[in-house]
Amino acid sequence: MKRVELLSPAGDLERLKVTLLYGADAVYIGGERFGLRANATNFTLDEIKEGCKFAHKLGKKVYLTLNIVFHNEDIDEVESYIKDVVDAGIDAFIVSDPCIISYIKENFNVEVHLSTQNSTTNYEAVNYFKEEGIDRVVLARELSKSEIKEIIDKTNVDIEVFIHGAMCTCFSGRCALSNYVTNRDANRGGCAQVCRFSFSNKDNKEFTMATKDLNMARYISDLIDIGVVSLKVEGRMRSLYYLATVIGTYRKIIDDYYNNSLTEEKLNIYEERLSRVANREVSSQYFLKEADYTDQYYTGRCEVSNQDYLGQVISYDKKNKLLKIYERNYFKLEDKVELFTPFGDNITFNVEKIYTEDMDSIDVARHPDNIYYIYLDTDLEIGEYSMIRLICKSNYKVKN
Amino acid sequence: MKLVVELNSKNINNYKEYIDGVILGLHNFSVFNNISYTIDEIKDISNKYKDLELFIKIDKNIFNNEIDSLKEILIELSKLDVKIMFYDLSILELVRKLKLDCDLVWSQTHMVTNYKTCNYYYDKGVKSALLSKEITLEEIKNINKLSNINTIVEVVSKPSVGYSRRKLVTNYNKDNNSNFKNLVVREKVTNKDYIVKEENSGTGFILDEVLNGTSVIKDLYESNTNYILMREIDGFLELVKDTKSYINNKCMDDNYIYKYKKLGDNTGFFFKNTIYRVIK
Repeated sequence: MKRVELLSPAGDLERLKVTLLYGADAVYIGGERFGLRANATNFTLDEIKEGCKFAHKLGKKVYLTLNIVFHNEDIDEVESYIKDVVDAGIDAFIVSDPCIISYIKENFNVEVHLSTQNSTTNYEAVNYFKEEGIDRVVLARELSKSEIKEIIDKTNVDIEVFIHGAMCTCFSGRCALSNYVTNRDANRGGCAQVCRFSFSNKDNKEFTMATKDLNMARYISDLIDIGVVSLKVEGRMRSLYYLATVIGTYRKIIDDYYNNSLTEEKLNIYEERLSRVANREVSSQYFLKEADYTDQYYTGRCEVSNQDYLGQVISYDKKNKLLKIYERNYFKLEDKVELFTPFGDNITFNVEKIYTEDMDSIDVARHPDNIYYIYLDTDLEIGEYSMIRLICKSNYKVKN
Repeated sequence: MKLVVELNSKNINNYKEYIDGVILGLHNFSVFNNISYTIDEIKDISNKYKDLELFIKIDKNIFNNEIDSLKEILIELSKLDVKIMFYDLSILELVRKLKLDCDLVWSQTHMVTNYKTCNYYYDKGVKSALLSKEITLEEIKNINKLSNINTIVEVVSKPSVGYSRRKLVTNYNKDNNSNFKNLVVREKVTNKDYIVKEENSGTGFILDEVLNGTSVIKDLYESNTNYILMREIDGFLELVKDTKSYINNKCMDDNYIYKYKKLGDNTGFFFKNTIYRVIK
């Protein structure tokens, strides 16, 4: 049985490496042109080449988004870019324009995936693209479990669905709110997320339509059972910590499913872990019912900042039992923290000792971007890109 | 260049002398409608107005449970002398699969933006395309020049700007214990109003300001645009009469342009390039 793919976003080369190390089977990235995140860091051709080499060594894949809605000036230049990217080693293109699909299929031996930007919502539309040679369809995010299943049953095309992250209010591709409100072209990568703006009605009451985020942790088994081949996480502009946590957690859910060891207790732990990096409330949106009153906000932007991420591990000195970290958020003695690694290991411990880079003993690590050492006694293999997050703040009274 | 209109009432009779075609939203399968038409009504109109080109709008996002009905509808429509404006690609697939002889119009709102994709659809047997409202006049001229497809350009309307499957007015009402059918909401920075219109299929957003493309009709005429589209606004009959007369006179009468400055100075994206990379 072919195992489901866990597909992660990656905004740059470092995030590509981290997310693959944390368990993604494939990543999707944006090049410097023609992707729908024009304002993300995005990859140069050399970086694409390096990313592909790194992924392929691990037996994993890299997909490139080429999913803008092309204007005349774009379409004239895309063909040479496609050739360059194929030469760089890309495994698939994610496209929305059928004209590009046929161009790639006719000229290159590389997969083409239909972007969710096309908002494909039924099996006959999938069949249309099957005739055009598409290898995979990323379905619209507006579909229920039974709708997805029927599409799979009636098309015999590989189907990918989103499982986690931010949602658009409108159908993807069918929204030009950003164009009209900010002059930023949503379908060419400039979306200003106007659906998260607050409007007012004639009575000066607030009108908002911002959606809660998608979280399908509890329904991964259903998605695998109905035959979805790829589970996609949203967020090419997300942080290393977010990706490590989300991808690491879904990796565990998927592996537990295949090992028949996914229990309710474990799911609760995984959901709790995902909630620690969430900056909005979550729901399963359209999966079980039509998205309704409960799936959106009514009071403007509701993001909360997250300060759980304490730092990234640089190295572990086994002899002196010292963890060297690059700090991201304040922590102090006796705080309960969790160390997690790309290998899927997690250790929870209370911070007993903190040292500065000069090995002065301190009570509190106050300064993000600084190097600190934490005492930790463990035999665990702690590799590059292990991270530390806060579980519970202590009542320790800071002295210095 | 022909003139096509979409009306807010079924009173085609008043307009028939001044228009070349009319858009009819198909009941349960079209969005952004004030009125819609059943297949039987379309058949009647087709019999009654033989000189008019009928554009049947089937532009909602289609779901699995609608495919069977859609098949029957397409079979019926293929027997009539009408054009089918499609958004969802299931329509192209069904026309292909059922080997139907349909005159198709690619109408994917914001996505009809370049000449190569127009040519792609033309090669698939799609004869016409309703161009995106979010491209410039220069881009339209280039599409006219470089593609084989018949182009339709929307020049007067309150423009549609987005569509959601969500019931956003119902949700708003529930949160506010209110009972609005539609809402008008204001974007706070630009101070522009948007109509939030809920239908069976979801919720549409419409800019509550007239797109006034009357000043570009001459350019469109000279660059071989096949159709211009006007959707009904206040004072529509007079506008339609004047526009027909303006086109018949090869767009030479500048008084038309002066007269319709009264529709406002919103020329949409005809002269405005959108940006997509923010300079930091």
